[in-house]
Amino acid sequence: MPVNNYWKRGEPMVLAAGATLAVILIMTLTLMAVILGNSLGYFWVKGLVRYKLTDGSYTMGQHTATERHALTDVKRLQLKVGNRDLYAQDFRWVDYSEIAEQDHPKDAYLLERNEHGNFFGFLKELKGLDGAPVNADYANLTRLHREVLAKRDGLQAIKDEMSSLNQSSERLRLKIQKLEYRGAEANGVAIAALNEQRATLTATFDRLNEQLNQRQTELAVTAAVFSDAAGTTKELPLLEIVRFYQPNQMSVLAKSGAYLTKIRELLFDDPRESNTEGGLFPAIFGTVMMVLLMSVFSLPFGVIAAIYLREYAKEGTLVQLVRIAVNNLAGVPSIVYGVFGLGFFVYGIGGSLDKLFFPERLPTPVFGTGGILWASLTLALLTVPVVIVATEESLASIPKGIREGSLALGATKFQTLTRVLLPMATPGIMTGLVLSMARAVGEVAPLMLVGVVKLAPTLPLDGQFPFFHMDRKFMHLGFHIFDVGFQSPNVEAAKPMVYVTTLLLLLIVVAASGLAIRFRNQMRRKYTTSHF
Amino acid sequence: MSTPVVDKSRRNDRLAAWLIKAAGLMVIVAVIGILLLIARVALPLFFAPGAERLAQVPTELQDAVVVEQGAARQTRELGETGSISVELLPGNQLAVQRSSKQIDLLGNEKVSEQRYQLTDRLPGPISVFWLGRKGQNLYAGTGNGWLVRWDLSGDDQGRLVETVEAFTDHRRITALTTVLGDTSLAVGDAKGEITTWMPVTTPGKGEDKQLTLVHQLPKSTGPVQLLLASPRDKSLAAIDSQGTIRLVHMTTERLLLTLVAGMPVKTAVFADRGRQLLVTADNGQQAAWKLSIPHPEISFSTLFGKVWYEGYNKPEYVWQSSAATDDFEPKLSLVPLIFGTFKATLFAMLFAVPLALLGAVYTSQFMAPALKGRVKPAVEIMAAVPSVVVGFLAGLWLAPLMDKHLLGLFLATVMVPAMLLAAIVAWRPLAEQTRIGRSLKGYEFLGLLPVVLLGLWLSGQLAVPLEASLFGGDLKQWLYSILGVRYDQRNSIVIAIALGFAVIPIIFTIAEDALSNVPRNLSAASLALGASRWQTAWRVVLPSALPGVFSAIMIGFGRAVGETMIVLMATGNTPITSWSLFNGLRSLAANIAVEIPEAPLGGTLYRTLFLSAVLLFVLTFIINTAAELLRQRFRKKYGRY
Repeated sequence: MPVNNYWKRGEPMVLAAGATLAVILIMTLTLMAVILGNSLGYFWVKGLVRYKLTDGSYTMGQHTATERHALTDVKRLQLKVGNRDLYAQDFRWVDYSEIAEQDHPKDAYLLERNEHGNFFGFLKELKGLDGAPVNADYANLTRLHREVLAKRDGLQAIKDEMSSLNQSSERLRLKIQKLEYRGAEANGVAIAALNEQRATLTATFDRLNEQLNQRQTELAVTAAVFSDAAGTTKELPLLEIVRFYQPNQMSVLAKSGAYLTKIRELLFDDPRESNTEGGLFPAIFGTVMMVLLMSVFSLPFGVIAAIYLREYAKEGTLVQLVRIAVNNLAGVPSIVYGVFGLGFFVYGIGGSLDKLFFPERLPTPVFGTGGILWASLTLALLTVPVVIVATEESLASIPKGIREGSLALGATKFQTLTRVLLPMATPGIMTGLVLSMARAVGEVAPLMLVGVVKLAPTLPLDGQFPFFHMDRKFMHLGFHIFDVGFQSPNVEAAKPMVYVTTLLLLLIVVAASGLAIRFRNQMRRKYTTSHF
Repeated sequence: MSTPVVDKSRRNDRLAAWLIKAAGLMVIVAVIGILLLIARVALPLFFAPGAERLAQVPTELQDAVVVEQGAARQTRELGETGSISVELLPGNQLAVQRSSKQIDLLGNEKVSEQRYQLTDRLPGPISVFWLGRKGQNLYAGTGNGWLVRWDLSGDDQGRLVETVEAFTDHRRITALTTVLGDTSLAVGDAKGEITTWMPVTTPGKGEDKQLTLVHQLPKSTGPVQLLLASPRDKSLAAIDSQGTIRLVHMTTERLLLTLVAGMPVKTAVFADRGRQLLVTADNGQQAAWKLSIPHPEISFSTLFGKVWYEGYNKPEYVWQSSAATDDFEPKLSLVPLIFGTFKATLFAMLFAVPLALLGAVYTSQFMAPALKGRVKPAVEIMAAVPSVVVGFLAGLWLAPLMDKHLLGLFLATVMVPAMLLAAIVAWRPLAEQTRIGRSLKGYEFLGLLPVVLLGLWLSGQLAVPLEASLFGGDLKQWLYSILGVRYDQRNSIVIAIALGFAVIPIIFTIAEDALSNVPRNLSAASLALGASRWQTAWRVVLPSALPGVFSAIMIGFGRAVGETMIVLMATGNTPITSWSLFNGLRSLAANIAVEIPEAPLGGTLYRTLFLSAVLLFVLTFIINTAAELLRQRFRKKYGRY
């Protein structure tokens, strides 16, 4: 006889269980919503509002938040006032009761600068290419800015040459160091010759540097004088201005254009202002390089280990031990891998390599310090279980008949493996690879010990011999979030940038794992026979 | 059949089999290798110290400045400003002489001398005295077991601070010195005991701190003739009349080394910044040792026990690895870190396990299959969210939000269940009597989503007037002033939620797999016998899947224990041992991330951090191995996982 009582049947418990699922989903959705909400709007050019306060002073900025005090019911608004060089802080709270008037001045400018954050103000004077005053209007500013930037880009050739000279000189210095280490007396002649070469290079470098400085001073003559809402003026060389808008005159289309420009900057440019502005290119590049290098190590090892487990090993204690080991590799905290990487790869192997191959440079380490190679190896260990599990699963899903068919036709086990099983399992292996990459992209703790830095002067891959520099430190998106969000001097101003970085990281990870999960589920459906 | 082609392929086959087996076994090697390599770095912490007697006393040591302890006069140079000296006069009196140098505007040096006697009545004859290295404190020990302390920092007169009856059996105090840092006083006596004393605030005894016995160090072989403080750490060398030297460490109360000079020692001195020890006998004969004591401050009891550190009023568990000065006492107790790790894990599990398990039960047993195909990937995506993202949101979004709406959060813990209960009651007639109710079977949780949201919103709205009327408008202030509870913005509640968020998908996925893989015929039989769907899930499916569910919880636990970034970003990283929900904490993993960049290679801190990595490894190893064994059992039971 079925129990009819609603409570006794446990229906409420079913609903309660459903509610917990609802809570889990709400948490996930909240996370997504918070990140999306805080990052998507960041690149939209907001209008500038000018307030006249009751004490007669003016202030201008972008309205960022409104807050009502719960008890006193006083409403106040937060303004991003920018002009860090003038006011020393980016944000300001204004009580509504203090506001006398407000307007949206059409001629207000928003400048993005190389230093001191944004500037909000009005254009007062403009100095042309020769330093002579010209008519201060938007058209002239646009023209001059474009010309100055074009001239600056013209200097890039000199900069490139200087950088290459610098590299050559550095290589010579290392050569000299090596020779001196082997015996300054015996190699005296060679050292002298090299020193001479280096002196020539340095002289050329100095000449170019002087030339560059001169040209830059010339460029700095072209400047604009801006005043803030209160009337304080500030002269800014156009060279210092990254881009400028008159936000209160921009149409939605123009703002969308600016939005796209800034996304392009985010993806392809270098960071500015201690990582709180500008682009993420070095971090994206570093992350991608590290993950690719990691796959080179983890993929073969993981696949072979999985093949062993599924195809070669006989069930028994040994296999059980291997499985326990795989699970432990997956379950050991990532920071322990970091510690291991630091102790074994960096100080152990790296230190020995330095002693063997670069004794002349000690105590300056080459490989004996964190670098992209050690980071990749550490993460390879960390992600190998993901590859193993995925490969094993896809091998397991191949019906037994296929193996037996191949063996029956006279193929050896190895031939069956390489010609039949692996091609069939490839989608599964790729799933594992993508999942392991997603895991590696999001892993930060071990990297902090083995080679990630907040700002790397050079990329690990460049045009200088030997092109791929495995000893270099690199930047990483995940570490970028931690560093900018928690170790930056001006966290409040840096927050939007952190949200944008978070969104980017999350997009990469979620897209990768989403694809992999979908792929895997499809494969499961394809091979598994249903069971009651 | 044997042709070259077949031979070749057979050879290849054998070779490949070997290689593949080797690579498979490499996984085991890797796990063991990781443990061994990090343990190898940590192990030297526990190596016994060693000393090597130098055949010849190095010439640079022979004329090292030796402070004679038994001497009747002690002088301390006070840098640029002058010097202070104390002399024991016949008649049991101490005389203080202070000379201070002053340079006037014209560059003339003026030396002013000042001399006074300490005329206080003493409980016994002074047997030994010691002037602190900074010239501020003067200690004396008497022949009948009393300790006397003067404060000489006043300009014109010394002040008798206290007389302490150190030993009730009135044994003779034979040696005194201050340990590095000048805070602790080491006392050697005629019975060969070595003790250290430190001024400690005792409640109800006035403002002055009282000299209190803090550490009882290993006994010397005979009456202590000479005590010498190491200039490198908190170690002491105690020398008896036979010339046996015992090196002891104050904090660990550990006997480091016993050296035998084989002659009566008159003076001794540490050289080479404490790495060498030189003794001189009465007849001028000398002996020197090269000491190698890399990690004197580490012992099992300092790592895991309560230790009475300098400047503390009682023995405590403290982690403080560095300070501004060189002469501070490193406090390397792992207990606050282990405590922090378990506190974070416990709160996170309390939050995550019920949610994840009930969610998994619902998804696997009650949810409509069409919906299940969408919910499971959503949770798997949740698992893919990098921990740095969760940590960032917890630290910079959730923590400030909670700071503002603390009462709202508390209200929500009551309000949301209450709303849900109301919804469940309201659902009853719908579920039983209408078509909608029946057709919504498997989709109930969608209806509950808005209820939860409504509950959250309502508690946020209610919190404001409630806080104003009950708690004077500021709950945190109220907590502090009425209950004395300190509120940190980045506290354990934030951790519980953030870490819980990271753990939920792991527990959920594994538990859901386990529940789904219980053979359908079990539940079908149960349902056919008339059990309701909840009874089937709770009494039939869940017990069968229990090993899998347990292993899910354990794997979640292992993950929470080792999680670094979330704990690093969402707590204030304060190594305190308090169960309060409103305080931060510091976990083992976060501690490694915080401290290892500043730990010099091969130093005590570096090795201690490796030791904590070993602890983490071993802990998670046990948990993961147990979980895997459980899972293998489960798999054997039902064939497929």
